[in-house]
Amino acid sequence: MPRGQKSKLRAREKRRQAQIETQRSKSQRSRRAPPTTNTSAGVSCTRSDEGAKNQDEERPSTSQASASTDDPHRTPLDQKAILLVEFLLRKYNMRDPITKQDMMRQVIKKHKAHFHVILKKASELMVLAFGIDVKEVDPIRHRYVLVSKLQRTSDDRLRGEKIMPKTGLLMTILCVIFMKANCAAEEDIWEVLNVMGIYADKKHYIYGDANKLITEDFVQERYLEYRQVPNSDPPRYAFLWGPRAHAETSKMKVLEFLAKLHDTVPSAFPAWYEEALRDEEERARARFASLLRIGTTANVPSGVNLGSLSQL
Amino acid sequence: MQPEVPSYMQGSTRRVGIMTDVHRRFLQLLMTHGVLEEWDVKRLQKHCYKVHDCNATVEKLEDFINNINSVLESLYIEIKKGVTEDDGRPIYALVNLATTSVSKMASDFAENELDLFRKALELIIDSETGFASSTNILNLVDQLKGKKMRKKEAEQVLQKFVQHKWLVEKEGEFTLHCRAILEMEQYIRETHPDAVKVCDLCHGLLIQGQSCETCGIKMHLPCVAKYFQSNSEPRCPHCNDYWPHEIPEVFDPEKEREAGISKSNKKPLRSRQH
Repeated sequence: MPRGQKSKLRAREKRRQAQIETQRSKSQRSRRAPPTTNTSAGVSCTRSDEGAKNQDEERPSTSQASASTDDPHRTPLDQKAILLVEFLLRKYNMRDPITKQDMMRQVIKKHKAHFHVILKKASELMVLAFGIDVKEVDPIRHRYVLVSKLQRTSDDRLRGEKIMPKTGLLMTILCVIFMKANCAAEEDIWEVLNVMGIYADKKHYIYGDANKLITEDFVQERYLEYRQVPNSDPPRYAFLWGPRAHAETSKMKVLEFLAKLHDTVPSAFPAWYEEALRDEEERARARFASLLRIGTTANVPSGVNLGSLSQL
Repeated sequence: MQPEVPSYMQGSTRRVGIMTDVHRRFLQLLMTHGVLEEWDVKRLQKHCYKVHDCNATVEKLEDFINNINSVLESLYIEIKKGVTEDDGRPIYALVNLATTSVSKMASDFAENELDLFRKALELIIDSETGFASSTNILNLVDQLKGKKMRKKEAEQVLQKFVQHKWLVEKEGEFTLHCRAILEMEQYIRETHPDAVKVCDLCHGLLIQGQSCETCGIKMHLPCVAKYFQSNSEPRCPHCNDYWPHEIPEVFDPEKEREAGISKSNKKPLRSRQH
């Protein structure tokens, strides 16, 4: 005899309760998640946020304090960690470098003494939820970058768009380097940037310290390489594409960028177009070659699914 | 290799969501693009499955997203679905609900820049068309809190807002980016309860739309398109007077894709909202 609806529901409920109980005893922290609907979280945020029209300069601590009223298990440090996650995600999206100073000023605020704990919690959440590592690249000046733990694939770009939202400047530089036979003198770069109103000695409204950005930040992020010209005295420097630029974009993409700026097509620059085409062929060949390698060798890094041939 | 999310991150009474690298890659790429149209989102989803778990059946997009949202809930983050106000494209963006005000922009903007945004936002909300002219915004530069800002600087800041997908520019006028509407709708409704406009059909926040010239109700362009579809005599749903505006077409993703294939060599339209 098949069981009736009611007894099925009762059994299901019992099983679920048992599940929740075992989870609670298993988990280290036994914290429960906050309200189920985002609306209620949002409303409780705003109630103490804004009084009058233009009074929304409230510190995030106010909003996050009320956001937790529905969940007594959230400690203030957890709340800060959540706000730090929001902060970091916005930096990831814009590919900005992150300093401890920024984090302190914008998010940590009065919890300065607990910076490391908050950062550690936030980093854990970043890894678990988004597969993003928070890495300290400069332990002296306390600068961090966000790196995906997941392997990059060539198809990560939809419709061939640039992945780098912090676009114009980097693309322009990559363009100049390409046009100067893949190695551009520092003076060449500044000549172009100056035309755009970006100067080495003046703070730019969007890019800030442009000199630091291109000689340090982009280099650290491996988009550019900044090398001394051999035997130059006084020392002169040149820029080359960094490995990340090679991975995330291509000569053809950069040429398309240039063509768009001049309202034309890549083939309007025959010499560069030739080179870009050769580069595309080379990439296709490399992809094909590594496909064969993955299929035939047993030497596969852990975590790579042999069945997924598109993972390069 | 694929750790289950600890219980303190899981949704409480609903089914427990599981995060795998498929979902993480999806989130990373969605974040990188800021906002994506539904068709791109589906492609993105398929791509993520292909990379990490090509033998699994691709879950229905709605369920896939609900699963992710149930896990991200405890971080006050969710993937939100919306529709562009000008041409009715379904769009998705990762929005953050932990801060519900302009301070969510604080990580990228100075105090006076945030105030410029608030001023621009007010002009946009109060305007008839949903657009605020560059001139009108720049004229408010003297009223900004914080460090003094010159008009030339303010022009750059407005471009920064565009770059960060908070505003969109169209022929010297500014309106909210569709992502900004998704992320700030609640904040906008709470802080401008009298000035804010609402669509008579979907009751969502309305920045751009059509209005009835008799009774004044407003509707989103895509809402108008759907409501009056194949109706030769469109009438106002409120006062029944003749609807005087051109009825836009309902967004058709199929037609869009065909057009896109033949358009691939042309310049992209500046007025596109993403």
